[in-house]
Amino acid sequence: MGVDSGHPTVQLRNVSVRFGRMQVLKHVSLSIDRREVVVIIGRSGSGKTTLLRCINFLEEYDEGEIVVDGELIGYRTGPDGQRIRKSEREIAAARSNIGMVFQSYNLFPHMTVLRNIMAGPIHVRRMSRQEADAGARELLARVGLSDKVDEYPIKLSGGQQQRVAIARALAMQPKVMLFDEVTSALDPELVGEVLAVIKQLARDGMTMVVVTHEMQFARDIANRVVFIDEGVIVEQGQPRDLFSNPSSERLRAFLKRYREGYLL
Amino acid sequence: MPINVSFLVRNLPLFYEGAVVTIELSVLTIVIVMVWGLVIVTGRVSRLRLWRLLAGGYIQLVRNTPVLVQMYFIYFGLAMAGFGLSGFASGLLALSLQNGGYVAEIYRAGFESISMKQIEGAKALGMTRWSLLWLVVLPQAFVRVIPPLGNQLILIIKDTSLVSAIAVGELTQTGKLLSERTAATYEIFFTLAVFYLVMTSIVGGMVRLYERRFAIAH
Repeated sequence: MGVDSGHPTVQLRNVSVRFGRMQVLKHVSLSIDRREVVVIIGRSGSGKTTLLRCINFLEEYDEGEIVVDGELIGYRTGPDGQRIRKSEREIAAARSNIGMVFQSYNLFPHMTVLRNIMAGPIHVRRMSRQEADAGARELLARVGLSDKVDEYPIKLSGGQQQRVAIARALAMQPKVMLFDEVTSALDPELVGEVLAVIKQLARDGMTMVVVTHEMQFARDIANRVVFIDEGVIVEQGQPRDLFSNPSSERLRAFLKRYREGYLL
Repeated sequence: MPINVSFLVRNLPLFYEGAVVTIELSVLTIVIVMVWGLVIVTGRVSRLRLWRLLAGGYIQLVRNTPVLVQMYFIYFGLAMAGFGLSGFASGLLALSLQNGGYVAEIYRAGFESISMKQIEGAKALGMTRWSLLWLVVLPQAFVRVIPPLGNQLILIIKDTSLVSAIAVGELTQTGKLLSERTAATYEIFFTLAVFYLVMTSIVGGMVRLYERRFAIAH
């Protein structure tokens, strides 16, 4: 399914983030079209996770603006052009349309797998229990975990927990999905099952922003790869071009280190 | 030392009467303290500085002075100031004020043990502050709070013996009076200890039961 470049689903304009004296993102602009899969790569500490977390306002940004599906995230512009923080309720409402999957799954340990997935639809979307239940079971089937409906997360492997986390995010019928190094905490033999689910989502046309260290996966799934270093987008393009023909010295160095470290 | 069993059996009704007062005082204190602790902890973690300061100051005050002194202050001191309370009411007030502070701190430790990851997981779903607290933080904090809370409840039961100092006819007071009238001091205080042991063991057992029942999910 092709990328729909009518109007972007996610748009970052001039976004800057400072942690104390350190500037983590420096005037980053990026737009992500509907159905597009954008993979962000870079060293740890480059700002890629911060960028992702700004999109659903888990990280507050100091400058610029972020628009998701036509709506400003986190701040509105006041009559004199100043930034006004939106209310907790508005921020929460915006987040409900943005799915996020974390490195450490962040499932709720006191709820069964099914309850984990139903929590959002019932308590945020105000969906009926039957409807939420049916939706959750369908999603569990999609991620191949129909037999784990009544288990508690602790009983599942890391790969299974991460698939539940994906189902939990999808249950909100998000406009865009954010993946934050979702295979980094997994044993190598469990990585494949999680990546397979994400690949299927890409084929189904979900708009996605993926932060990952898995270069092969990035190559397979991305419509566009964005390389970020020291808080700046250094280079971006189609995975083929970027990986085989990096134009910047920094990306060349990054890829070289990666090949030496992981592929030899 | 021979134990005077017939003396004990004869006076058992008196012990029961005292035990009833001890149980009343314990149960009332426990109920009040569990609610009052919740009120204080909401102040302690409030976004408003004034509430945080008040709650923090309160905890410092009640925790760093002896509960017996607090009882004397309420029973004798307030009476001098024209707010005379009965011994029972004074004891209940002092025990509730002090243990409310302790329980608030136990609750707070429970809240704070919930990792940021859980909170972010809930936020990412679009949960508001309230549903996040109600659905994600409280249920998990509750489970972690059971053991230290159980411990505190046992301390409360034992501390009710202090109200014997302000003339409340509970278990310890009953024992004191009996031992002044008779010479069976050994039997009396041994019996007292058994009564307390039974009461605290029942509470301890209930706590362990709860712990096990809720632990299954984790």
